Amino acid sequence: MKKTPSPRELLPLTPPVFHILLALADEERHGYGIMQDVARQTDDALQLGPGTLYGCLKRMLAAGLVEESEERPDPALDDQRRRYYRMTELGQSVVRAEAQRLANAVHAAKSRRLLDRARPSLAGGKA
Amino acid sequence: MPASFLIRWFCQIYALLLYSYPRQFRLQFGGEMQQIFRDRCSYLVRTQGRRRLLSFALRSGLDWLATTVREGSDAISTAAPNTLGHLRSVWKIGRKPSPRGFVAEWAMTILVYLFATTTLVQAYVVPTGSMENTLRIGDHMLVDRLAYADPGAEGRRLLPYRDVERGDIIALLYPEDVRQTYVKRVIGLPGDRIRLVNKQVVRNGRFLVEPYTQHIASWRDPYRDDFPAAPDLYTTPRGRDMLLHHVRNGEVVVPPGSLFVMGDNRENSADSRYWGFVPREYVVGKPLVVYWSFDAPTDELEDWSAKHVLDVTLHIFTKTRWERMLLVPRSQAAEETGGPQ
Repeated sequence: MKKTPSPRELLPLTPPVFHILLALADEERHGYGIMQDVARQTDDALQLGPGTLYGCLKRMLAAGLVEESEERPDPALDDQRRRYYRMTELGQSVVRAEAQRLANAVHAAKSRRLLDRARPSLAGGKA
Repeated sequence: MPASFLIRWFCQIYALLLYSYPRQFRLQFGGEMQQIFRDRCSYLVRTQGRRRLLSFALRSGLDWLATTVREGSDAISTAAPNTLGHLRSVWKIGRKPSPRGFVAEWAMTILVYLFATTTLVQAYVVPTGSMENTLRIGDHMLVDRLAYADPGAEGRRLLPYRDVERGDIIALLYPEDVRQTYVKRVIGLPGDRIRLVNKQVVRNGRFLVEPYTQHIASWRDPYRDDFPAAPDLYTTPRGRDMLLHHVRNGEVVVPPGSLFVMGDNRENSADSRYWGFVPREYVVGKPLVVYWSFDAPTDELEDWSAKHVLDVTLHIFTKTRWERMLLVPRSQAAEETGGPQ
């Protein structure tokens, strides 16, 4: 895992990894913030357990998709210090590439009239 | 039990579970994992109540089980080349490798084994013939302890779940002495009216056709065969309580939260007829599979005496009932026919 992989090599991402990257796309978050945001993104279909979440973060840190930011308390929760995670540039390009890949897949499904309903049901990953 | 106490308790258990992760992983993320576990618990209690808390705890347990295996194998595969290099350098210097890793590994194996045998499955041996011929004396089986444990609304999506039904074979704690586990068949659910007419069960006014039963006695015992017609000498205190408070119009009415169970060997079974109802929380689980069936007498199956060990070693091939190996005891709903004559 030492060499920096190109975004293409990492695709397709597992659902937990993809949603964690999505959660970190707009701002840096701590672990619990990621957990909440992933649940929100997927309408509770994908609820990451602590082990899954940090197992993914470990691999993402090793692959250079995310990096640790500072440690600071979250004013909304309590005064405990929390470690924040931030997406790297590589992470950004990977999540873009994955989103594009999924968009292509959705486009293909649409062109075959498989997406009539307004809202597709979200596939929950292995949580 | 106040919710805060429950949360603290869960967090303590979770903190212990974290020790099964590889050391490196635990040191790096353990604190945060505990933090978010606690955050999630208190959030759920605040917004959605205790039921959701339980299902979250269950899911976290599954998450723990899956990821601890994953991280463990990950750590082994990444550490393996280093370990070899390390061993080589240790040999060069001439010191023995520390036994710590070895001890830790075995401690974890034992912990996981204990968890599995206390929470997931339980080994059980049939000591008496009360369920013959469905189960025979000397059937060694595994009991699925999660089968009838309600996992909550969330857990139901992950695990198949179905409550106890009529005709199910269940393992239960003997209500008069909870140190003993019995295996019986469920005959009556709460609200059911039960009686026997000449050895045949009448449930809610309809005769049951029960192909799984065995009848060995030709003589008639008025209590056993026409339950609950005549009081019996052999009933236990709970049995007497049942006869006193739950008989209406010559039928036993199963109270809420209880089950009425009987052995398939109807004339040779100490069951609800004699010791009353089984409280729902005494249900241990569902017999999963007979993994070994050995022809031995009742008293030897309950403790492993030296004689029994000798018997097993000498006769393991001849006394093992090979045809019963991996047999799955099936639940079977009885057919109902018209009313009693």
